[in-house]
Amino acid sequence: MKAFLSLVVAIALGLASAAPLAAQRSAQRSAPRGIAIDARMAEDLGLAVGAQVRISAKPGEPGDSATIAAIYERKADPAEVARREYRVRLHLDQLQQLMELDDRVDRFAVGTRDGKSVDSALARINHVAFGFRAHKSRDVAVQSSRTFRVVERFHTAIGIITVVASAVFLLCLLLLSVEERRRDIAALRLMGISRATVVRAIVIEAAIVSLIGSVLGAGVGWIASLLVNAHFQQLYRTPLVFALLTPQIFAFATGLSLILGIGSGAAAGWRLVKSSPLSLMGR
Amino acid sequence: MMAWATLRRHPARTTLAMLGIAVAAALLLDMVMLATGMSESFRSLLLTRGYQLRVSPKGTLPFDSEATIDGAGAIVRALRANPDIKAVSPTLGATLTIDDSGIPSAFTLGLEREVQGDYTVEAGTDITRADSTSAASLPRIVVSQTFLTRAGRVVGDTITISSGLDAQLRTAARSSRVVIGGMGRFIYVPGETPVIALDLALLRELLGPSFRDRMSLAMAESRRGDSTSVEAVRAWIATTQPRVTAISTETAIRQVEERLSYFRQLAFVLGAISLGIGFLLVATLVTLSVNERRGEIAVLRAIGTQRVGVLQQVFLEGLLLTSAGIIGGLALGLVTAEWLNGILRDFPGLPSAFDFFVWSSDAGWRALVLLLTSGTLAGLLPAWRAASIPIARALREEAIG
Repeated sequence: MKAFLSLVVAIALGLASAAPLAAQRSAQRSAPRGIAIDARMAEDLGLAVGAQVRISAKPGEPGDSATIAAIYERKADPAEVARREYRVRLHLDQLQQLMELDDRVDRFAVGTRDGKSVDSALARINHVAFGFRAHKSRDVAVQSSRTFRVVERFHTAIGIITVVASAVFLLCLLLLSVEERRRDIAALRLMGISRATVVRAIVIEAAIVSLIGSVLGAGVGWIASLLVNAHFQQLYRTPLVFALLTPQIFAFATGLSLILGIGSGAAAGWRLVKSSPLSLMGR
Repeated sequence: MMAWATLRRHPARTTLAMLGIAVAAALLLDMVMLATGMSESFRSLLLTRGYQLRVSPKGTLPFDSEATIDGAGAIVRALRANPDIKAVSPTLGATLTIDDSGIPSAFTLGLEREVQGDYTVEAGTDITRADSTSAASLPRIVVSQTFLTRAGRVVGDTITISSGLDAQLRTAARSSRVVIGGMGRFIYVPGETPVIALDLALLRELLGPSFRDRMSLAMAESRRGDSTSVEAVRAWIATTQPRVTAISTETAIRQVEERLSYFRQLAFVLGAISLGIGFLLVATLVTLSVNERRGEIAVLRAIGTQRVGVLQQVFLEGLLLTSAGIIGGLALGLVTAEWLNGILRDFPGLPSAFDFFVWSSDAGWRALVLLLTSGTLAGLLPAWRAASIPIARALREEAIG
């Protein structure tokens, strides 16, 4: 199966051969070189390992022959998840030749020897640099993760709004459910049960309700995360996990729910026991 | 009015309920603004200068890669020859080195001044070509505010821009002295990016012979603005120019929405949740309130109040609660939308004029009416139950407590 590939989306990986360029070119003419394509492209274009394709830098040009030597899975990279273009990996010299970019690259990855300081290597490279600049991998990662930091801040903001809504909802609910039982509470008070005991009972009840609610909520959340992951992984064809329920998240949600429940229960309970038992009875 | 009196009798409960509905309404409004705002914002951004079509290298979105279109002159001439096309603006993008400045390089746009739709001049003068008749006359460029700040330059300064650096020989293949003629607001470039605009011919000269007839993108304006005419022009470009992709505003919006679909899905999920919360809150509140007033309602029925009258009063209670909550929610929603928009505008690579949350009266009111309907309907079942209370039994239960 043959397919035309636009090299504007290609990433060149590998090492330029030490052999002279002329020898490489004659070798390429004799046998097509291997390229690697991403799994989504293989699936969409019906390509398999061993398939022969033609690749060129511009539409309509004859270009070069190549063999699909490998099909690779994309990384679970959030930065790439919504990008729909296909990815091809070629030998560096092969891409340079196709693009007519003799001896040019976009970037180098440099590893320092054990014990050598990254900072001093960086300083030495930038001291002699002309037309390029060296950066620490960590700095590049920080820069490229800005998108996710923004998403994280957005999620936090949405979380705050949701927590406020839940807190108000919980307080309303407990206030009403406690008020609905004011006759029972009045009876308990008239029997000689202390205010603190009544409030404690209400708080314990609120805590149990919050705990059960948290467990049920976690169950709903877990099912929702499965659905979300299934939908988005299929939509974007990526192994990236979009929603994740971790023990830490569960503990945080349960803890928050308990605090809100206990607070709301205490507020509702104290509000009621302040009134005299007879007025609670409606007498 | 019994509904009003009931709400006033329990101020803490009513306030809390209104607050709960207000938060739910605000969240719903925000999510509707998020779902519709991105498209609206992007549409207005694309149509800022009237160009409804983008022509980019085959299979790519504008400036999504470093690909360029060869044979640009012939393509632009063919487009301009079409009587249905009013204007065509070719653009070439590149990175040029800036000598002796605070920044080593800047994103550069090569444009034709008469038709360009990428920036508006905010200070100084527009770009000019080099005057070949006068050696003293240097070409003028327009730069962004970020460029001036980061390069430590001002309008009127002369700088050297270069391309084709040779790291081994430590020389630039081509360079040119230019005057910063003006400062501009670049419509499609992120605010944090230092950017230069200069004459297209000059940029091609700087990039060398291989760029003599290249462009990264062309914008085209259909003479007639209706979507059918625009689509007809787009189809004509796609048919006659097989080496390019013609994208209409609608297609571009669709593709951007695809990339930002996560936010739409999130908006849908959270919008549905807030609608559910509003419904549950009103339903719970009115149900408990009715249960509390069984005796009161039985007395009303016993002294001759019609079933419909009771139904109306309880139904009205839900309506009043929801309405009051929604009024608060509208104000709260606009404030939180501004806050959330401020967070998302920090996204790298987005034009500074792009907004995620945009108030659209149609969508906004529709969302609030939906919540009002949902909240009002939530009071329907408790209202029905209140109107159907067996009078004698309720009175007896009330009497013996």
